[in-house]
Amino acid sequence: MNDRVKRWLEDGTVDLFLGYKMIMGHPLPHCFVKEKIEEVNDLIIGPARYSLEKIATHIAAVKPDIKIGLLARDCNQRALNVLYIWNQLNPENVRTVNVNCCPSNLKEHGDCSYLEHEAAGSFKRQVGIDNNLQPENIEGYGQSQRLSRWMYEFQKCIKCYGCRNICPVCFCQECSLEHRELVGTGALPPEIPIFHLVRAVHMAGRCIDCGLCEDACPVDIPLRLLYQKVNEIVSDVFDYKTGTGDSQSPFNILGDTVTLEPKPIQLAKTAN
Amino acid sequence: MQCKLVPSICSYCGTGCGLLFEVIDGKINSTLPMKTHPVNEGKLCIKGWNLHEHINSFMRLKHPLVKTFGRFIKTDWDEALQVTADRFKEIVAKHGPDSVGMLVSAKITNEENYLAQKFARAVIGTNNVDHCARL
Ligand code: SF4
Ligand code: SF4
Ligand code: SF4
Repeated sequence: MNDRVKRWLEDGTVDLFLGYKMIMGHPLPHCFVKEKIEEVNDLIIGPARYSLEKIATHIAAVKPDIKIGLLARDCNQRALNVLYIWNQLNPENVRTVNVNCCPSNLKEHGDCSYLEHEAAGSFKRQVGIDNNLQPENIEGYGQSQRLSRWMYEFQKCIKCYGCRNICPVCFCQECSLEHRELVGTGALPPEIPIFHLVRAVHMAGRCIDCGLCEDACPVDIPLRLLYQKVNEIVSDVFDYKTGTGDSQSPFNILGDTVTLEPKPIQLAKTAN
Repeated sequence: MQCKLVPSICSYCGTGCGLLFEVIDGKINSTLPMKTHPVNEGKLCIKGWNLHEHINSFMRLKHPLVKTFGRFIKTDWDEALQVTADRFKEIVAKHGPDSVGMLVSAKITNEENYLAQKFARAVIGTNNVDHCARL
């Protein structure tokens, strides 16, 4: 890996490379350049995940033609795909070194295990939602329980906007979470559940299930689960899988007109 | 093109969350929580998330200013400190050292807090020292 990155920097395949390096005892994202090529010896995969692709979009915003290389776990690759589709990065200017992701039954060695959440405490299990659950588990709760459990989670929100700030695919100039007509932007506590639902709607067909938002949430709201649910709807209704396709999501709230076209099977159902 | 990720500590409150500044071409572009920092474990509050806006704010004071005839005039540090010292001396001479109080802060280091109370007690001669975290 290190030799390949050195070669890329030396022969100009990339102008800079985003990876990780131990700095003051912490594995931190680091930008490697040709001028300090010897640093590439210290390039590591790093146990802590950051959104390198988000840093790349910030660099590309300043210098659009720059050629960027970066380390990419599976989630980074899905995010890059979304960023290409939405014209935030030019795929011709991006090269990735693909690395291992979370350990699983299929993959013994994983460099990342950030998605495994700490077990929920007993109170959270009783009145809230365990972050380790799957969307289908939640459905088992029944409607009124589901509402009260989600409301318990939402009322903890301190409106730090961390979930939006850290999200690799949140790039809108004007964020709907700061739009007065959608959500009250003023004092705490935030308007719930609308704050979270506005974000959830915006994440439908956009979220690539990296879990960074949940990592960054100071009050452990199971955000990933919520967005898994909205993505499930997009996938069921429109047959669109975020992060894998080469077109923008059909469920698009940007722009003046929305043309929603359900996937064929749904059309067939309505025809009957 | 230069891109650096600079580790730092949030200076907004006494918690001291670890963070990273994303610096692109010499300008702090955004703030990120440090995921491995033992204090905040990859989380920040809204103040920490927006540190870069506070640093880049056009309202930020970048030079010492001295108020002369009701207007703030740009000056250098030597003059600003001299003016402050002279005014303090005048006030202490006229009203006594207890007419002065010192407010220190959780946002500065332990050593700076120590120096500030030392200054209040040994130089000005008052025990009027208080701290924003003393609730
Ligand atoms: S999991 Fe969270 S941070 Fe990751 S893409 Fe989805 S909303 Fe964004
Ligand atoms: S990260 Fe959590 S606490 Fe912060 S705004 Fe998002 S949901 Fe609320
Ligand atoms: S991020 Fe918030 S809690 Fe952390 S040190 Fe800064 S102000 Fe304090």
